[in-house]
Amino acid sequence: MSNGSMDQDRRDFLKQFGATVGAAGLGAAGLAAGPRTAEAAAKPKGNIPDKPLKVGHITFQTGPAELLGGPGAHGHILAMEEINAQGGILGKRKIETIFADEAAGTDANVKELRRMKLSENIDLFTGVISSGNTPALGPVAEEMKLLTLFNDGCTDFLFDKAVPNPKYTFRVTNIQSADGVTAAIGAATHWPKARRIASIQPDYSYGRNVFEHFTLALGKLLPGIEVVSESWPKLGTTDFTSHITKILSSKPDLLIAGVWGGDYVAFYKQALRYGLFDKMKVATTLAFGGYPHAIGKDHPEGVLAGVHANYHFLYPAADRWPINKGFVERYYKRWKEYPSFESDGAYTALYLYKQAIEKANQLVGGWPDDDAIIAMLEGAGIDSPAGYLYIRADNHQGYKDAVTGLSKNVPGYDFPVWDAKSIVSIPIRSITAPPDWPKPGQGHNETTAAADWIKKTWPQVGKA
Amino acid sequence: MEIVALQILNSLFYAAVLFLIAAGLSLIFGVMGIVNMAHGSFYALGAYITAWAVIKASATVPPGMLYLFLLVGAVAVAIIGLAIEPTLIRPFYKRPEEYQLLVTFGLLLVMDDVIRLVWGGTPLTASGLVDRLGMVTIGGLPYPIYNLAMIGVGVVAAIALWAFVYRTRFGVLLRATAQDRRMAAALGIDIGRIYMLAFGIGCLLAGLGGAIVVPTQAAVLGMGVEVLVISFVVVVIGGLGSLEGALVGALIVSALRTITIQFWEEFELAALYLIAAIVLLIRPTGLFGKKA
Repeated sequence: MSNGSMDQDRRDFLKQFGATVGAAGLGAAGLAAGPRTAEAAAKPKGNIPDKPLKVGHITFQTGPAELLGGPGAHGHILAMEEINAQGGILGKRKIETIFADEAAGTDANVKELRRMKLSENIDLFTGVISSGNTPALGPVAEEMKLLTLFNDGCTDFLFDKAVPNPKYTFRVTNIQSADGVTAAIGAATHWPKARRIASIQPDYSYGRNVFEHFTLALGKLLPGIEVVSESWPKLGTTDFTSHITKILSSKPDLLIAGVWGGDYVAFYKQALRYGLFDKMKVATTLAFGGYPHAIGKDHPEGVLAGVHANYHFLYPAADRWPINKGFVERYYKRWKEYPSFESDGAYTALYLYKQAIEKANQLVGGWPDDDAIIAMLEGAGIDSPAGYLYIRADNHQGYKDAVTGLSKNVPGYDFPVWDAKSIVSIPIRSITAPPDWPKPGQGHNETTAAADWIKKTWPQVGKA
Repeated sequence: MEIVALQILNSLFYAAVLFLIAAGLSLIFGVMGIVNMAHGSFYALGAYITAWAVIKASATVPPGMLYLFLLVGAVAVAIIGLAIEPTLIRPFYKRPEEYQLLVTFGLLLVMDDVIRLVWGGTPLTASGLVDRLGMVTIGGLPYPIYNLAMIGVGVVAAIALWAFVYRTRFGVLLRATAQDRRMAAALGIDIGRIYMLAFGIGCLLAGLGGAIVVPTQAAVLGMGVEVLVISFVVVVIGGLGSLEGALVGALIVSALRTITIQFWEEFELAALYLIAAIVLLIRPTGLFGKKA
């Protein structure tokens, strides 16, 4: 097969996904709703108690992961303050949040969740960043019948295996397998000639998942790829020099990096020194994942800068999506910094909860019980700063379009942002397994439903 | 083959830093009998203070002078150590060891929170110090001259420390106190002063380790705990309380780490703990440790 028709193949393939390149991608989500501000809230029905609403929020307050946890807490607090300024949910119940540090470890987090429910009697639990923690906390939340909106902790395992039939647990942000697939589509779009692949991933479930789904999807898009080097630094690594030397010596075309938080900052600064970015293309899943200002102007341009749960504050563009513009302005005013995807997720989670309660109140009157709130959360849609988010009823997972782009330094910011021309936007249904797809253990033994679905349904570019 | 030369240098740089930290840990244990759980936090403090001072001073101080700030970081940590020993640690000498473990562990938690309170969650960097010295090309791959210089600093520090402990009067007092505290006290040695200085020197070494590392990496939250765990492996292999042990342990651990990263990445941590376990089985006091 000639190269020409192979390129054609791949372009057709990407087109079939509905992937768009450039800042115009938003339309694909099928957005019909106008800005939220246009709707006047309906008057609450029945008697509403004015007892404060208690919320528990566990996120990283310390350690290298604070780069993600901090913005999440800021997004949560902003939403809480906005809602309270309007008198609280249904105009009566103000939100009070108790915070705890996720860095205490999984066992401590489980104990803290129980304590929050049993002795603080929280009405809602939110937050959580690590994929190691949601599968431990999810079953406990179900057991205690505690309504839970996880912000992150995006492992497929949570709703594939740990809580296969969720009732009380939801997750608003991304599914992990979409990270690797999004990076693969971004890489194949921008660098279709890449064949020799090196990988550096944190050595735990997230890194394993990114590596598997990235290579799987990229293999479908670019025939004949070869993994020439694998690095698995443990989470929290600060010295990457030996890993970088190893990557350089394997002479790859493309590096996929899933290291995140403080680890990514340490990695890119060291890689810069060794000239790594001049010698290969670099795709990441989380380069723009922490505080935007956590990376400096020294960060190279032209790196595929992933945002994991599909939000970076300049996209959707202000003129196309005023909700984002307003959110970024209010957030900046409150915190003197720009929001990250964790900010968007935590902020949206609280508004999603508020919206569900308001709808349930219109139906049943008074303060709705959890069953009524859950019924309104299942299948709910909300216009979030990141675009349109909907919660699938079957697996309680939030879905919004995947997005990634190339880093670029522009005037006006002390840190790199996306090059608007390079942004790749992918309808989420094109890269995640459909609702009825069998979960692992149901007729297949792939690590995720997504992996099985990709293997069985994606065509192979470059083969007849 | 060029990769071998580069990985050996990577390994030596890592060994230099590990030695500084482990030597401090060993010195404090050898003299005072205290396992300092907060030792990694002093290392992190050295990194943060150095990076912060370099960032603050870079506008006004001539670039060449900025290298002196490596010492500023180390000395600042030593002064903090000198203040902490008499106030926090001294009251616990007469209590069982568990209390000393608890108080230094508490210190670890407090120091980590203080670092977060003062500098926040955003990593601090001082990478200008590395970039200004430039790179050398070794077998076609670039290597920072700064790292070469710091391997040299590690060697000098090792020699200086050895000379200090074995060739000075204060070193004699230090070793005497380590061997028999009561006898030393009976001979008129001011034990309180020796303890304070030993703790200060240990902190100086940890701070210097942090100061050396921060230009090549970044000062990030949690860096202290990571290095604490690895330096415990170093002293377990080398023998807690022995400077030679810290040196040999650091070389073994860093070489092992580099080899596993290059060839069997998955076994990086497992290999370190395996070696530590084997050493403990064959020589429970470590390669250079003295029998209790």
